[in-house]
Amino acid sequence: MKRVGVFVCDCGTNIASVVDTERVAREALEMPGVVYATNYKYMCSDPGQDLIKKAIQEQNLERVVVASCSPRMHENTFRKAVGDGGLNPYLFEMVNIREQNSWVHNDKEEATRKASDLVRMAVFKVLKNEPLQPGTIPVTKRALVIGGGIAGMQSALDIADTGYEVILVEREATIGGKMVQLDKTFPTLDCSA
Amino acid sequence: MVAVAQHPNIKMYTYSEVEAVNGYIGNFTVTIRQKAKYVDWDKCNGCGTCETKCPTKKLKSEFDLGLGNRTAIYKAFPQAVPNKPVIDAENCRKLKNGKCGVCEKICPTQAINFDDKDELITENVGAIVMATGFDLFDWTQTYGEYGYGKFPDVITGLQFERLVNASGPTGGKIKRPSDGKTPQSVAFIKCVGSRDDTKGKTYCSRACCMYTAKHSLQVLEKIPGGEAYVFYMDVRTAGKNYEEFYQRSLNAGAKYIRGRVSKIYPRGDRLVLKSEDTLLGMPIEVEADLVVLATAMEPARGAEEIAKLVGFSTDKDGFFQEAHPKLQPVETFTGGVYLAGACQGPKDIPDTVAQASGAAVKVAMLFSKPELSTQPMVSEVDVSKCSGCEFCVPICPYQAISMKQVEERGPKGPITRQAAAVNEGLCQGCGACISACRSGALNLKGFTDEQILAEVDALCL
Amino acid sequence: MSVNDGAWKPKVVTFACNWCSYAGADLAGLNRMQYPADIRIIRVPCSGRMDPQFILRAFQQGADGVLVSG
Repeated sequence: MKRVGVFVCDCGTNIASVVDTERVAREALEMPGVVYATNYKYMCSDPGQDLIKKAIQEQNLERVVVASCSPRMHENTFRKAVGDGGLNPYLFEMVNIREQNSWVHNDKEEATRKASDLVRMAVFKVLKNEPLQPGTIPVTKRALVIGGGIAGMQSALDIADTGYEVILVEREATIGGKMVQLDKTFPTLDCSA
Repeated sequence: MVAVAQHPNIKMYTYSEVEAVNGYIGNFTVTIRQKAKYVDWDKCNGCGTCETKCPTKKLKSEFDLGLGNRTAIYKAFPQAVPNKPVIDAENCRKLKNGKCGVCEKICPTQAINFDDKDELITENVGAIVMATGFDLFDWTQTYGEYGYGKFPDVITGLQFERLVNASGPTGGKIKRPSDGKTPQSVAFIKCVGSRDDTKGKTYCSRACCMYTAKHSLQVLEKIPGGEAYVFYMDVRTAGKNYEEFYQRSLNAGAKYIRGRVSKIYPRGDRLVLKSEDTLLGMPIEVEADLVVLATAMEPARGAEEIAKLVGFSTDKDGFFQEAHPKLQPVETFTGGVYLAGACQGPKDIPDTVAQASGAAVKVAMLFSKPELSTQPMVSEVDVSKCSGCEFCVPICPYQAISMKQVEERGPKGPITRQAAAVNEGLCQGCGACISACRSGALNLKGFTDEQILAEVDALCL
Repeated sequence: MSVNDGAWKPKVVTFACNWCSYAGADLAGLNRMQYPADIRIIRVPCSGRMDPQFILRAFQQGADGVLVSG
């Protein structure tokens, strides 16, 4: 069985006010493969990430589970931390106990039970994770800007000034968009052409 | 504007629309339709003689929002970039019934070409910035109490801009559309379509409080003895130097009245606005010569279609959806596609410029690396199990699966057969192919059958 | 324990598409919209990833309901 570490985030009081994070960490230790589990105030902070990196090395962890906010928020943060700790970044799973738990439930007992369930789900999954390697693809270094109003013109100019080619497409016969229809513009009352 | 046209790194396609976008981050292929202009812009020197001689003169100018006229061969405005005309095929006598051709005869550079056709152009790009902007909410469809657009002296803020603009149809003099007289009293109504659940949009359009303050100032500056009334729900001036600017309009004498105008009706050649002054708690009536509506911003015409075409989502109001409202305001959920300006939500010019520069930096970041790393959670094929049935090929929404020849040992020496192969650059890791695979040869890395079943088991313990 | 006395808690397994429903559940969180805690969400990359065997397995293991959203 692979050695799994579980890290439960308090997110200040965002999670800990509803979910008993200490209990979740304690219960995680009963789960298959889990050799280390702890909770911490802010897992995404520098000390929080160091905690993960250190534990990977000191506890010889082979898999990591972080229970915190939505993976849509911090999955890449923790993946990087796991990678910096010496593991393949994909030997990691994230558990959403904030957006989909502490923020939407009031009952502490139920929310804590749900958090433990979700952690168990991730532990079961992470045991089956395999190391993955990203591939590479080439980049065409030219940009397309759709729309030739003030937004499109500003973007096109800034990109062009960095040295890359820009293609600007405008459906009217002239660029300028709404802005050239304006007279003076607030708050400085300078002209808009 | 001219800086854009003159920049050696910018290639402009005006009078053009994006017709198709294929590919993925770093590798898009774009088809652009350049509409027939009937004028060879390489030959045209922009002298404008054709415009003065065109016999079709009474067309409503789109640029002046119907307040001025244009010809059938026209530039939107004299300082257009590029400064070349196009022919409006729907109204050109020559293109409609074959008679006329005056512009062709008088053009000193023989630039007129009545046989011009739409042209399709293909370009390869690595990133796309969406900057399609906004249009104004069409108040004439819903605001019956303001006359459904049948009073000529009830106009929009953008029309007012044309009236005060030195290059506009009145040369910058504020005149009523109905009789050309200078209005003595101008009333402004804010939040027409904005913050109006029942008739318009729920959101605040953000720029109107400030441009109405500007308009009221312009009335007081340009019309001696003129009066400016502003009907408002709230005054929102959250921006650097904005509150000071609003105070300036108050000090100049603009009269702010807190209340919604419930009815506009004519009295003689003036208009009467009935409202309540909610600060005084009493009904009031104001007579005005011109009424200016601050209409809501809404996504530009065709925004929904282009979002589908490029392949990203829109929000409940049809504005382009950013990846995160605070942390990723210029990214979309589609890699390599960024947002700038009012296409993402109502915005004033300072915010638009800031976001546009932000989008440019995101593009430069993408281009700063020699190549991109792909996310590894993509489909993989177990060739030994794949029967080469091709069932997965049409299922894939990203055209990432193709068939390749594989060689393997057979009872009588090597045999060749076909098996599926996944292009990892194109695969977005949706996993649709996996449940379609009858032989269980496909799996999604990071979301394998075994992993998901393990999750189900764990939850049901 | 019966269904009616309130002590019984159903076990609802949800499969949510990462790009829409899962994001929607996150949005419900951002807006602090409260809902019963009996639901357990499994994130899938797309509802196209769903396989009938996932649903069957959930019922086989004792789930009271399965919600597929995408």
